[in-house]
Amino acid sequence: MSGWLRIASKNILRRPVRSILTLAGVALAVAMLFNLLQFQRGYERGLRGELGDLGAHIMIVPRGCPYEAATIVLHGGKWPRYMEQDWYDIVRETEGIAASTGIIMDAVIREGGAENLIYMGIDDDYPSLRGQWEYSAGEWFDGEDTAILGVTAADRMGVAPGDSITIEDGSRVPATPVRVSGVLRRTNTQDDGLIFLPQQTLQRIFGLEEKLVVILVKLEDVTRTEEVASALRQTSADADAGMNIFPLSELLSTLTSLLSSTRVFVLAIVVVALLVGGVGVLTTILMAVYERTREIGMMKAMGAGRLDVFRLIWLETLITTLAGGVAGIALALVSARGMVALLRLVLPHTPTEFALGFSPDTFWLCLAVSAVLGVAAGTYPAWRAASISPIEAIRGGV
Amino acid sequence: MSRNGQVAVARGLEKVYRVGRRGSPALCGVDLELRAGQFAVLLGPSGAGKTTTLNLIGCLDRPTGGELTVVGHSVHGNGSAMSEGAMDALRRDHIGFVFSDFYLLPTLTALENVQVPLIWRDEAAPDRARELLQRVGLKHRLSHRPDELSGGEMQRVAMARALINRPTLLLADEPTANLDTRTRDEVFELLRALSRDGLAVLLATHDTELAERADTVLCIRDGIIVED
Repeated sequence: MSGWLRIASKNILRRPVRSILTLAGVALAVAMLFNLLQFQRGYERGLRGELGDLGAHIMIVPRGCPYEAATIVLHGGKWPRYMEQDWYDIVRETEGIAASTGIIMDAVIREGGAENLIYMGIDDDYPSLRGQWEYSAGEWFDGEDTAILGVTAADRMGVAPGDSITIEDGSRVPATPVRVSGVLRRTNTQDDGLIFLPQQTLQRIFGLEEKLVVILVKLEDVTRTEEVASALRQTSADADAGMNIFPLSELLSTLTSLLSSTRVFVLAIVVVALLVGGVGVLTTILMAVYERTREIGMMKAMGAGRLDVFRLIWLETLITTLAGGVAGIALALVSARGMVALLRLVLPHTPTEFALGFSPDTFWLCLAVSAVLGVAAGTYPAWRAASISPIEAIRGGV
Repeated sequence: MSRNGQVAVARGLEKVYRVGRRGSPALCGVDLELRAGQFAVLLGPSGAGKTTTLNLIGCLDRPTGGELTVVGHSVHGNGSAMSEGAMDALRRDHIGFVFSDFYLLPTLTALENVQVPLIWRDEAAPDRARELLQRVGLKHRLSHRPDELSGGEMQRVAMARALINRPTLLLADEPTANLDTRTRDEVFELLRALSRDGLAVLLATHDTELAERADTVLCIRDGIIVED
């Protein structure tokens, strides 16, 4: 086999520029495929993790686009619609709920949008839904005008427990000093960048008395999600509360199915790119076969059968596409950070923990696609080469 | 090879090429016999049928008439014809070719070029290739590629390549056509030396001076052996 490989690889290197260009075509297509598959995987994992970090099974927001609301809830921000605090009591009384928390949020945008301070008003139940909420310094609110800071927010503002920060936003929010009571340990979630205030404090400072943005609900039994959601919808309708109730599993499946629709479109582009790459390989190998007609004739004169010649040309094609596949995967890995940055600019929502990494499944799948491309693109040139008559070839014709 | 040392036997060998609807006869009943150790020259002008004869005996092409037996295998005759695969195997295992154009693979070294025929057998024999290159006087050129060799050296590499499979029959089609006189003589003497070792050599040429130095001279004209 080493003889076959040596002769095939040396034949490929005979025209290095042409081979590199052909290989680059395959590499680009495979890089696109690799990134697309990793994007789907990374996005879904990131989104699942983010929703899991919420510690809730059902999210309740005021009427409006629930996905927009979910994005605000996941990343923090200013939400133009509110629900009445009374609704929280309706929710709490519903059967099957293990824990729930009502949240109010607002944001102060400073320096033309360069700095965005997000404030979240929470109640005593919030930490119980957040899994591991630990303090690097200080503790829970020890007074009305106190705040807990995420680690990134504290670092950015350069404050520690005992220090004071001032909340103000022009004429909308008059300057109000609050004392830092605690700083959280790093959670690698959106909490790291938030400033937490007691719910009523935030409502008072921002003039949002008796208002909430979201209610998070944790269930006693996850298998009863639909049942509890239906009960909440009925209760909301009876009370004319105008709540938008949706299970997070539904949110995940809706977002991923939206993503899948986009993926089909992108996949179609990748398939076209692969086909173009394949045609490039076919043309290059066919050209090489024509150029080497006399050599192939000589090989047949020396006893190479049709199958031997077919095998040699096929091997050359396979080496080209596999090398292109490996180069494409390498290109995808090298460009992963840039791609993520680009996707964050383009996509309306990207999970915080979103990366285009390496996975063996995707690696082998891309290599298999490269091999299939080689087999498909190599068949016609290999058949042409195998059909060359040694007599005609040695005479100089085809 | 048959029991009486016959390597190739042709009786009434015919070849007609089809040109459109018309047939163009190239060989019109060639009779010849080659034995092990025989050094025969097929002498004739251009278009006489030398290459066609070599191609048929070398199983590169099929006769349209007559009988042909090569190394004891019936290639054509008695209403039967050898399959393409069997002809490939016969060439691979028993026949060596040397052409006027050397057809060396430009990306391979001399040592690698000599071993090319072994690839089809999934074999490698670098020691034998080295030995053959030494025999043709190219011990010092093992790792040189064709573009680093002279015409005579390339032809010697081609000869070593033709011998790597330990053939019974060596067919040389104008092997000295592209060489200067001194190199021509060296190549010719090498072929003679090979025949002395038991190899049947059939050399096609239009060079009468070379033909005078052969064991057997077969003069061919218009597709017929006119003098033996």
